[in-house]
Amino acid sequence: MTEPAATEPARTGPARTGPARTGPARTGPGATAGRYVGARVQRLEDPRLLTGRGSYIDDHTVPGMLHAAFVRSPVARGGISSVDVSAARAMPGVAAVFTMEDFREICRPTFSTIIGRDAVTPPLRPLADGDVRFAGDPVAIVIAQSRYLAEDAAEAVDLDLEPMPPVLDIETGLATGILVHPETGSNVAAAISAPADDERVFGGAAHVVTETVAQHRYVAVPMEGRGLVASWEPGRGELTIWAATQAPHEMRSYCARMLGLPEHRVRVVMGDVGGGFGQKMFVTREEMAVVLASYRLGRPVRWIEDRAENLLAGGHARQEQATISMATDRDGRLLAARVRHLENVGAYSVPGTGSVGGGVAAFFPGPYRLPLLSFANQAVYTNTCGRCAYRGPWLFETVAREQMMDIVARAIGMDPLDLRRVNVITDDDLPYTSATGVRYERISPAKTLEQAAGLIGYDAFRREQAAARADGRYLGVGLSLYVEPIQTRGPLGSEGAILRIDPTGEITLIMGTASHGQSVETTMAQIVADVLGCEPASIAFIQGDTAIAPWGPGTGGSKSAVIAAGAAQLVAERMRDKLLRVAGHVLEVAADDLELSGGGVHVRGDPEARVSLGQLAEAAYLNPAALPADIEPGLLTTARSVAPPLVLANACHACTVEVDVHTGVVRILRYVVSEDCGPMINPMVVEGQIAGGVAQGIGGVLYEHMVYDGDGNPLTTTFMDYLLPTACEVPDVGYGHVVTPADTPGGYKGVGEGGAIGSPPAVINAVADALAPLGARITGTPLGPAQVLAAVAAAAPD
Amino acid sequence: MYNTVLSHAVAMEGQLVKAAPFSYHAPETLDESLALLAEFGDEAKVLAGGQSLVPVLALRLSRFEHLIDLNRIPALRYVTGTDGVTRVGAMTTQAAIGGSEEVRRRVPLLADATAYIGHFQIRNRGTIGGSLSHADPGAEYPAVAVALDADIVLASVRGTRTVGATEFFTGSFTTAAGPDEVLTEVRFAHRPPDGCAVVELARRHGDFAIAGVACAVELDSAERVQSLRLGLFGVAPVPVRAAGAEQVARGTPAGELDPVAVGHAALAGVSCVSDVHADAGYRERVAAHLAGQAVARAVREAREARHG
Amino acid sequence: MAEHQLEVTVNGRAVTAMVEPRLTLADFLRERLRLTGTHLGCEHGVCGACTVLADGAAIRSCLVFAIQMRGSAVTTVEGLTPEGGGLSDVQEAFRAEHGLQCGFCTPGFVVSVTAWLADHPDPTAEAIREGLSGNLCRCTGYQGIVRAVAAAAAARARREAGHD
Repeated sequence: MTEPAATEPARTGPARTGPARTGPARTGPGATAGRYVGARVQRLEDPRLLTGRGSYIDDHTVPGMLHAAFVRSPVARGGISSVDVSAARAMPGVAAVFTMEDFREICRPTFSTIIGRDAVTPPLRPLADGDVRFAGDPVAIVIAQSRYLAEDAAEAVDLDLEPMPPVLDIETGLATGILVHPETGSNVAAAISAPADDERVFGGAAHVVTETVAQHRYVAVPMEGRGLVASWEPGRGELTIWAATQAPHEMRSYCARMLGLPEHRVRVVMGDVGGGFGQKMFVTREEMAVVLASYRLGRPVRWIEDRAENLLAGGHARQEQATISMATDRDGRLLAARVRHLENVGAYSVPGTGSVGGGVAAFFPGPYRLPLLSFANQAVYTNTCGRCAYRGPWLFETVAREQMMDIVARAIGMDPLDLRRVNVITDDDLPYTSATGVRYERISPAKTLEQAAGLIGYDAFRREQAAARADGRYLGVGLSLYVEPIQTRGPLGSEGAILRIDPTGEITLIMGTASHGQSVETTMAQIVADVLGCEPASIAFIQGDTAIAPWGPGTGGSKSAVIAAGAAQLVAERMRDKLLRVAGHVLEVAADDLELSGGGVHVRGDPEARVSLGQLAEAAYLNPAALPADIEPGLLTTARSVAPPLVLANACHACTVEVDVHTGVVRILRYVVSEDCGPMINPMVVEGQIAGGVAQGIGGVLYEHMVYDGDGNPLTTTFMDYLLPTACEVPDVGYGHVVTPADTPGGYKGVGEGGAIGSPPAVINAVADALAPLGARITGTPLGPAQVLAAVAAAAPD
Repeated sequence: MYNTVLSHAVAMEGQLVKAAPFSYHAPETLDESLALLAEFGDEAKVLAGGQSLVPVLALRLSRFEHLIDLNRIPALRYVTGTDGVTRVGAMTTQAAIGGSEEVRRRVPLLADATAYIGHFQIRNRGTIGGSLSHADPGAEYPAVAVALDADIVLASVRGTRTVGATEFFTGSFTTAAGPDEVLTEVRFAHRPPDGCAVVELARRHGDFAIAGVACAVELDSAERVQSLRLGLFGVAPVPVRAAGAEQVARGTPAGELDPVAVGHAALAGVSCVSDVHADAGYRERVAAHLAGQAVARAVREAREARHG
Repeated sequence: MAEHQLEVTVNGRAVTAMVEPRLTLADFLRERLRLTGTHLGCEHGVCGACTVLADGAAIRSCLVFAIQMRGSAVTTVEGLTPEGGGLSDVQEAFRAEHGLQCGFCTPGFVVSVTAWLADHPDPTAEAIREGLSGNLCRCTGYQGIVRAVAAAAAARARREAGHD
């Protein structure tokens, strides 16, 4: 079988449908007419991925590599009496079995560059040391000739534990004397106290509505789990790590510190990665153990996380609740809110404590004029799997607030749409500083609210709903309106790019990104192609190799369209300027009279007077002495973007459902999103990101539930029990677009997390709306059929 | 329920997904397979479609020294209909059963149930023998077998015997088959119903049922219910023949059947199970509702067949 | 445990190898034949990322031991890709309709859809979703995948009509 062409993909169909022009011309110098930006350009990633030629970590082999499997605690909390690895060590094909004892001397304190050295974290030892703190806690690592043999040997490790009563829930964590991490002195991982002077307002308000809203534990589940091959070469003093990571530079510095190596002696290479959603953004304990094992052995060690491990120990998310009081005037205008927010962050959270209290506090007011907010938060450690970042980690602010808006509306006799209309921040209010000090500008929540309501046919639906009720059927509509912060503060605010044209004229774009489904390879090529007047497919894209790529904060947090696009735009413009100057020298014409197009440069108004990129490259590289003194030989430009410290996107989700009150089954009828992520580089990519996020939100509300029993044993560690939605459970999403540019080159805003943020409350509100006439109270998730039926039954007196 | 036991045990065992070593045998005749089974006893396990067994082996929840693969015994794959009986060889795949003209005509309830089994990729390998032997409480085929009073043929070196479906399922994932016996055939008497229906509630399309009903109905010349055969699955450790509902329905004019009453009668005396997906109370409520729906649908089909 | 001789055809080529019985077909294809297009998403038969064709039928290769495939013809995503470059019609439809993002589940979908369309040439939207329900995707929300299947079916129907 011959190999398909590695570079130029054979496009057998039209490259794109017509460009979708959306909104005003882009800001920024040198924005060209835009053949590709704004269009549904087919992806450059696709040919290799569709033909099975992607290179994921499990596809990557390193000569001489050994395979790792972990021995894990079967109990949630306990003392380790002994770990006897002698039998395991003697088994066929076993190279080593390590416990924390073997790593103690070589594992130094380290920290994440992204969150900084001062961030509070639980004690992140690579392996359990003397005691275990959650079911699944890695205790030993077995290194063998194959994964099969490593698992055989793992079974032979004799782990003698003294089980102890675990701390599993928030209430117990706060009340008990048992410490999840004795070193920390408290089960409170983080806390916020930000009271407001609101007694008078609450006392005098026409309406005060109080409710406790809960969100259950569910998890990221990328289709590919974690994995890496770590290779310490003692002779060279170099550590190379191939990894399924969202942030190769982060992994590089973290592991360098851990081993006491200079950063430039550590190389992390990221190939194709099968999704992450935040779970692969930061280095986790198993990854530390694999690196340390390689360091001890001086051999490459590979670990590919299997699905059971991923569900058990890959990082959990979302488990939190809040008691909320909202005060309004008689017309429903919000006067003040009080929020007491509690989070269950598990044992070994990454990054930091896993608390999202700060984000929830800052954005609880959301897109509404809320004058006063009183906020208190506690994040609690428990003997369960620790939290990781998961797509919109702080999204509980939207989940809680949007549910409360509906609860308040029903309590005071207003339609939820009208209550939102009364309170939403409009264009006239901008710029608006929220009660939490966030400055809102360049957002459009009111426009998206109206667009979403129109798309879902809100008024017509209310009539349809009434008719259905008369028929004994329960339909409901749910809205969810939010403002999304794109985190660009500190290290997250800059991305790097290198553009290189080689002597033959071929273009290579090298970026510090770590795209793993976000289509960055294509969208950045669209930007560069527009500036250089070439085809996106002519650009080779390199990312993810720290030896080559400029430092980047990783891909996640909805910031690619902000910082990566900015860097790509800038580096392309610098190359354009260089090319025009070299062309001016070659054609003996002023650079101002020249234009880029068709993979070359021509004299404006005289397309025949042209020179190809290849000819320019020859001139730049192969005859440097002939170049004028003010033109440096070669064709290489670099750039870094700097984003504003905060960029805001916004959207409105609307959803209709039918609830079967005999079975509790919720069927989604229609789903629409009106989103404003500014101008879109590629509308196809934007819509795909939203659709994926919406599916995760629907999954989270109706199907997915990470469950522990009363002893802290997980009950949902296979796909038979942890239920991901299939194509039958997720509807088609309809889209509306509003365009409010950011103050950046291109004006693009991020969209990666928005779908996951806006969807849970849209679905929850729709179910609550459907069951409202029955008096059923819905105050959070999960909303599987049994929970829905229980809510219906609780409302019926018989 | 099984799946939660699986997850819990997985967590306890240490999250392994490569099977433990075993010796592999691929006999080409039934007699060969029986001899191997007799030789190795409970150190051996028979491998049919593998769609249920292989995950168990991969997750190391069970292990066997010997695996006896039945997939190379062509004599076990057939669907025949003679002398008033439809005989299905144990190794006939669910896909083949779903596409069988004989089954569609003579045992339509079995054909209907097939569409609910997992996904087409599963049905391409999964077999009826494997499904019945595995005896998952949430599976469709065992309930159809019980509803239709199917006969299950078991073979060993000691000979062949036939067990009625109701006697065959003895507990959750437990059957009357001895450690040296192989299920070789399932027999359905030709009694094509006037109407039949399979209704189930699963969390997602293709999942095992939380509660399910397979029923077949016959009407007399006056359109009264002459017979109702109803099997429940997903609610109890074994498929349940809802004799109570059958009695309530018998003799009732089709137009006067009360689905709610039928549903309640179907669950009378049934001890429902609880697991991570649903508790007993939920299962009972929903199963009763579905039973009423299934009977109503089957009766509707019967009446339409008559008039259309 | 003793190894067995396996003779199997993979993507049209005869292959002979000695295999341990417990080696799954998925691991055999990936590790022994270096056909890494078939992916492991769960190894317990739910996600469908490991789907291959065995004698034309779509199966989960993590639920079959390699030795069981003796005498069979196995086709992986690599075998469905046109030799010499380019994309099959199903692959092309996925690309045109943005039916993939991270790509990890994609080969499983391509193989499943290729088999499924052969049996369902004129599917309704509902039937398409049912047909896809045995494969999990976490990135796309399935929307682009559903469109891709519909597009591939429509394109095939047009080609058929053109030949009449």
